[in-house]
Amino acid sequence: MSVESNGKRLGLVQSIERWAASSPDLIAFHFDGESITYRDLNLRANRVANGLEALGVEKGDRVAIMLPNIPEFVYALLGILKLGAVAVPFNTLYKGGEILHILKDSGAKVLIALTNFAPMINEIRPELPALEQVILTGERNLLFAHPESTAFIQLILQRDLIRDVDGAYQKMGHILLKIMEDLGVKEAWYKHRGSIRVRGTKIATFVIFEVEGIALVNAVVFLGPMDTKAFLRVVWVPPEIRDKVIEPLTSVEQETGQRPSWDQVKETVVAAIQQAFQVEIKEGSMVRDERFGYEKLRSLAYKAR
Amino acid sequence: MKWKIFSRKKRKEQWRLIFQPDGDMADVMALPGAVVEGQIAGRYLLASGGTAGTVIIQGVRRKGILAGVDVAIDHQAASEHDVDVAYQPRGGRASLRPAETVNFEEMMLNASDKFVSTPTDPEDLACLLYTSGTTGRPKGVRLTVKNFLCEQQATQKLLEITPQDKIIGVLPFFHVFGLSNVLLIGLAHGASIVLIPQYSPGNLLKAIIEHHPTLVIAIPTMFGHLLMLLERKKVRLPQNIRLCVSGAAPLPKEMIGAFETCSGARVLEGYGLTETVAACCVNPPDGVCKAGSIGLPLSGFEMKIVDADGKELPAEEVGEIAVRGEGVTPGYYNLPQDTEEAFRDGWFLTGDTGYKDQDGYFFVTDRKKEIIIKGGLNISPREVEDVLLSHPVVKEAAVIGRKKGEREEIVAFVTTRGEVSAKELVSHCKQALSSFKVPDEICFMETLPMSVTGKVLKKELTGDYQDERRIERKETGSGSID
Repeated sequence: MSVESNGKRLGLVQSIERWAASSPDLIAFHFDGESITYRDLNLRANRVANGLEALGVEKGDRVAIMLPNIPEFVYALLGILKLGAVAVPFNTLYKGGEILHILKDSGAKVLIALTNFAPMINEIRPELPALEQVILTGERNLLFAHPESTAFIQLILQRDLIRDVDGAYQKMGHILLKIMEDLGVKEAWYKHRGSIRVRGTKIATFVIFEVEGIALVNAVVFLGPMDTKAFLRVVWVPPEIRDKVIEPLTSVEQETGQRPSWDQVKETVVAAIQQAFQVEIKEGSMVRDERFGYEKLRSLAYKAR
Repeated sequence: MKWKIFSRKKRKEQWRLIFQPDGDMADVMALPGAVVEGQIAGRYLLASGGTAGTVIIQGVRRKGILAGVDVAIDHQAASEHDVDVAYQPRGGRASLRPAETVNFEEMMLNASDKFVSTPTDPEDLACLLYTSGTTGRPKGVRLTVKNFLCEQQATQKLLEITPQDKIIGVLPFFHVFGLSNVLLIGLAHGASIVLIPQYSPGNLLKAIIEHHPTLVIAIPTMFGHLLMLLERKKVRLPQNIRLCVSGAAPLPKEMIGAFETCSGARVLEGYGLTETVAACCVNPPDGVCKAGSIGLPLSGFEMKIVDADGKELPAEEVGEIAVRGEGVTPGYYNLPQDTEEAFRDGWFLTGDTGYKDQDGYFFVTDRKKEIIIKGGLNISPREVEDVLLSHPVVKEAAVIGRKKGEREEIVAFVTTRGEVSAKELVSHCKQALSSFKVPDEICFMETLPMSVTGKVLKKELTGDYQDERRIERKETGSGSID
């Protein structure tokens, strides 16, 4: 049978390694105007194998892949197979409960996913003791903003102000919970690293980012119901999965019967943060250097791809 | 002597608020981005007096989307629907990343590109693939190195892939069909694969026209969309396609014919399961293709029809489809009970019912679990669905059994092309079906819940379906908090 060839045992990657050696310039795949050769594919898969090994992945360990058909999927899969680890690819449309089940059941040590899944992964991570590493890739973040629905609350802090990430999530969760309570939302709850929910449904969510000793807390609070129909026309989503793409949401207005005014939001948010950090918050504006960076980022944002 | 004790009231640290309730989409990213950059720059310049904390509260005055650069955006639709679109610039090496995560690109950059692959044993596990089926919780299917190699050998006999081939990679690789029958087999034989990360009919057609593939492997829904789009846009398919393969759900006969006409290539319909590493039975490219049939077992696979006791049934008799071969999974992960139940004398019981004709061609009729038992009589949902679909107004139909007290009722879910009453559909069914098979209830739907491979998710149609998108307060288990 095929497993034995010339007396040597074959795995799943050897045939690909052979193409890389015998016809290095042969094209393995096309993606977004680029062509990747078998040589490059093999080298990148080697990098993933080494990278995963450095993170502690060994033969037989399960590595979950939650990615669409992008080059990183292929590099990741081949890297995992080269290591002799077990790939656990799963549906990118799966949501919280399903993902939790798969990661728990498989005992995955590492999860490779799209960056935009960070909030969801955060939310389930405390329940996954076996999951040691989360590797994120891709520029597929998608954020909807609606004049009547979304309020963005962003905190930029020196990293030492929050000591550890765990504590920061705990603190921010409680600040948002306090804001919800002050806006009249009853029965909101927060589970570690999760979203703020009313019953099972999301009303606010946040992620903590970090770079070079600075932490950015990015939160969004839903003030009023969000009509997502227009958004889904702009980002093409097959009709049959449309309602799976967006997690069910609720809002302050839906829970209390009234949408708070912006002044009310400002007051409530400032009061909650002042209290939590024991600081005084004064309204101000950007300084000159920031304004410069701001204009640069804005022009990048609107530059046609 | 008296000491005067001054209580030195510690002055509270001052943070800054930037309040902008009427900004735009780009601001959502640019405002915090600018503050973060300013802080980093300030540190390098050893500037002092930077604020310890900044709070930004902002809203937008127009609807907007902030999208990563890899998200496909329809700019025309955006302007039609008054949606602003801003892109999040591609993150560099030292860009913001969610706390306590590893950046894939950074991990690769820091690693060597030399690696000697770990030797594997044929029985080693290569993948755990979770199959939700159309009912129940996802189960982990254990697939070994040997399973994959046998499947590759079997499908290669059929597809004869060479380095000259270009394969459309539209089926998701996280699913067994795309993983095994597109990605791994393509790369094993030196073909090139066109990666389509986000399916839309337009994306697929564009990729086909741009790349001139030789193999199109897809699901019925996609072939259907392509046909519609070709007609609407009055475009022709490039004539490089030499073979098409359809699987995961039945492809109507007319569609096979129509697609063969416009592609000039054969469309092979096949059958497979996660448990068989995808295809195990396909209509032969050079032999007779029987309409409605899933074809003949691939080399390396044996198939038979068995009764409830596992005894093989003769041709034309309906029973459960069983498969055996080196490509068949050794079982489910952590589920010895399920594994034991799924195998009988080394044969894997597929859970699909069907029959074999005199020529050895297999036909699938239903999922065993979906058979409705009403008044002691077995009812095939597929049979009722076919009757409903024969009504000109019915677009899609899914029939399930719903427990009502002791008995099961037949409930039909339909999507339609126009107006039709439940009464008319019931009388349509009465003309073609025995009375006990006629639906007790007809539900009109806008869409039917479907899996990525175009199968109707019947579990989501039953009354007690729990929405997995919700995260309940209870740590585990099935109960909700209310």
